[in-house]
Amino acid sequence: MSLKPRKVDFAATWGAIRDTIRGVITLDHVPRSVWNDRFSDVYSLCVAHPEPMADRLYAETKQYLIDHVARLLNKVQEDGEAHLVKNYFTYWSQYSVGSQYLHSLYLYLNQQHIRTHKMSDAEIIYGSPDSSGGEQMEIGELALEVWQSGMIAPLGLRLVKLLLEAIDADRAQKTLPVSIEAIRGTILSFVEVQGYKKKAPLQLYQELFEEPFLNASGEHFKHDAARLLQERDVSLYMEKVKVKIEEELFRARRFLHSSSLAKVSQRCETHMVAEHLEFLYSECMNMVRGERRRDLSNMYDLLKSVQNAMQILVETVLEHIKTQGLTAVGNLQGENVHINFVENLLTVYNKYKQLIQEVFKSDQNFMGALDKACNYVINHRPNGGKCPCRSPELLAKYCDTLLKKSSKGISESEIEEKLAQSITIFKYIDDKDVFQKFYSRMLAKRLIHQQTQSMDAEETMINRLKQACGYEFTSKLHRMFTDMSVSADLNNKFQVYLKQDNIDLGINFGIYVLQAGAWPLGQAIVTPFSLPQQLEKSVQMFESFYHHRFNGRKLTWLHHLCQAELRLGHLKKSYVVTVQTFQMAILLLFESTNSLTCKEIRDTLQLNTEHFYRHAISLVESKLLWADTEELKETTVLRLNMDYSNKRTKFRITAAVQKESQQEVEQTINSVEEDRKMYLQAAIVRIMKSRKVLKHNALIQEVYAQSKVSFAPSVQLIKKCIESLIDKQYIERTAHSSEEYSYVA
Amino acid sequence: MSENSRMDENDNDKKEVSQEKMFTLKKWNAVAMWSWDVECDTCAICRVQVMDACLRCQAESKKDFYGKQDCVVVWGECNHSFHYCCMSLWVKQNNRCPLCQQEWSIQRMGK
Repeated sequence: MSLKPRKVDFAATWGAIRDTIRGVITLDHVPRSVWNDRFSDVYSLCVAHPEPMADRLYAETKQYLIDHVARLLNKVQEDGEAHLVKNYFTYWSQYSVGSQYLHSLYLYLNQQHIRTHKMSDAEIIYGSPDSSGGEQMEIGELALEVWQSGMIAPLGLRLVKLLLEAIDADRAQKTLPVSIEAIRGTILSFVEVQGYKKKAPLQLYQELFEEPFLNASGEHFKHDAARLLQERDVSLYMEKVKVKIEEELFRARRFLHSSSLAKVSQRCETHMVAEHLEFLYSECMNMVRGERRRDLSNMYDLLKSVQNAMQILVETVLEHIKTQGLTAVGNLQGENVHINFVENLLTVYNKYKQLIQEVFKSDQNFMGALDKACNYVINHRPNGGKCPCRSPELLAKYCDTLLKKSSKGISESEIEEKLAQSITIFKYIDDKDVFQKFYSRMLAKRLIHQQTQSMDAEETMINRLKQACGYEFTSKLHRMFTDMSVSADLNNKFQVYLKQDNIDLGINFGIYVLQAGAWPLGQAIVTPFSLPQQLEKSVQMFESFYHHRFNGRKLTWLHHLCQAELRLGHLKKSYVVTVQTFQMAILLLFESTNSLTCKEIRDTLQLNTEHFYRHAISLVESKLLWADTEELKETTVLRLNMDYSNKRTKFRITAAVQKESQQEVEQTINSVEEDRKMYLQAAIVRIMKSRKVLKHNALIQEVYAQSKVSFAPSVQLIKKCIESLIDKQYIERTAHSSEEYSYVA
Repeated sequence: MSENSRMDENDNDKKEVSQEKMFTLKKWNAVAMWSWDVECDTCAICRVQVMDACLRCQAESKKDFYGKQDCVVVWGECNHSFHYCCMSLWVKQNNRCPLCQQEWSIQRMGK
């Protein structure tokens, strides 16, 4: 065959083509050779000489298709309504495939003739000035277009009604009047028939079918919800709604275009969840209180899809955790309050954290509620805010118990674990500075009295605090630590020094030299005391050694913190007893005499009354001494108990080891109050120095932001500090506004 | 009283039996606190306690300042004391003690 344009007889060629089209469009058998010939015929018509006959071919083909579809329309309706969908689907299946073949047959016409005349994408989307109806389409598209206008336009509404009835039947679990395949195929034909469109390809589907479908479904959901509501059981209702949503999604996947899935579930949620929120909430409280995991999980799943519906559930959970937390730590009594407090809190925290992870899929809203609740419980002040919050103290004590020697029966890794956990609580504490005060006091006691279980654990813990709160928070703790290692070094050097000079102190001497200011020991506790002569040499030697090594330093001996080991030789067995220096001094006086009055002892040792009685009583209570009166008075005579016996040969007189008294706790809290004022004043001065002029509220905010790390200051306190700085003339109110301050250089 | 007198006898018995001392001090764990031997706790130049590092040192060496006392104290012949850091800046401008206006000369340094 020649490709050269030549004269063609249109009528004859069209006749041949038309016969073949019929075969193609009805999926009849078309032999390969015939196909090839028609393919060439299309070509020769398009390039015919002298005039190309492409437009004529197009017009004839279009007319043929219109006639064909009109014939099919009759056939579809032949068997009545009952078979309408089935017939439609049958012919559609045939026609849609046939039209694709036809498209291939007209390949040349499509590519050479039509595509060159086609509008560009941009023109389609934004519209073109001459989008007249005379536009030619590619043959495949033309076929679909003809189907839409010739078949769907007249039949559409009837089809949709039948389709909706079929879906209703499916919902009612009745047998379907037509096959699923036919229903799905028919519905999807609304999509496919416009599949070639670049602009709004789903429009027909959405308008013709989806919209009525969603409306009908909405009604159905409403009815269903009303029916389910009659049982008045929220758990059951939620279960059923969940199943319902699943079913509907499954149905949508079976019948509909995938773009409809979200819309279906959204409708379902609107009618079955959003419209009945009150009903769902009515059981919310009980569900949360009973911690009914399955219900809560259902509730979460359902509410998640409705905007702003979760808040009530979140708040209920928050309240519940608060209540549980307060119950867990309320009314704690006895020796182990601090342990119970922290561990109960942790139990509550971990329990609800887990619940939120499992039931609410770690939803941020619920995590936030957990934080809020913990914050509330941990910083709760009992008695309507009158009592101070004890959490900082209790937590510090808890750490103390863990870090002390003789944490019975707990392995090192367990202690580590518990300390790490306590940081969880620590992070919620508002008054971190109070915690720091207590912690540093307890750390000082542990270090000085050598009660620390492991220096490594101590250090890890300090580093954890540093991580949570920053360097400044732990700098004093670090300095205490450093003093310990410096002292160890010092002791070694002192021993070397003694050896070089051949000095024998007569006792085993060890010392901690602490840096003033770093240790929370207070200043007032240095008491007059005349040292027993046995110790004088040690003190003298060490002082000269120390002053030789360091310049310009003075040493203050903290006798109330010193400890001595004394061998008792006056009893049947020999005992070694660990006592405090004052106790030791009292005992040593009995070396040369059997009985002394309290006054004599006190005068010799020059101890103040309080110290003397406290230590004397401890010796009487431990039965090392006898007193001749019930209560110790100046005239009371003390004697050595020569019949003293103890099962252990090494023991410690513990009675006089100071207990953390209520007074001490108050002192700590008061000193915190003072520190806070200083801290806030410093912060205000810093801020004002850099800002020069600042409005009242802005200043308060900045101060608050700076101090948040270690405590939450009250606005009142900040105001007080501003006032006192104005009095001290660091800052002043600006002339034009009383709500504004300026820095006075 | 009778009980007490019996105890006295006991006591005497024991003493005869053993000539050992009644109390032997084996070990003494002492605790002492050191501070700069100064008349006034605060440095008149930076208004910080002399036991703490001076204002500049606190601000600068925040990171590796592990309680190391690099910021020592200095005494003048007039016996007034200051942070060494503070004083060495001061004398650049005015070689007199800020408190008594005597010519500044160092008597001793803390170590």
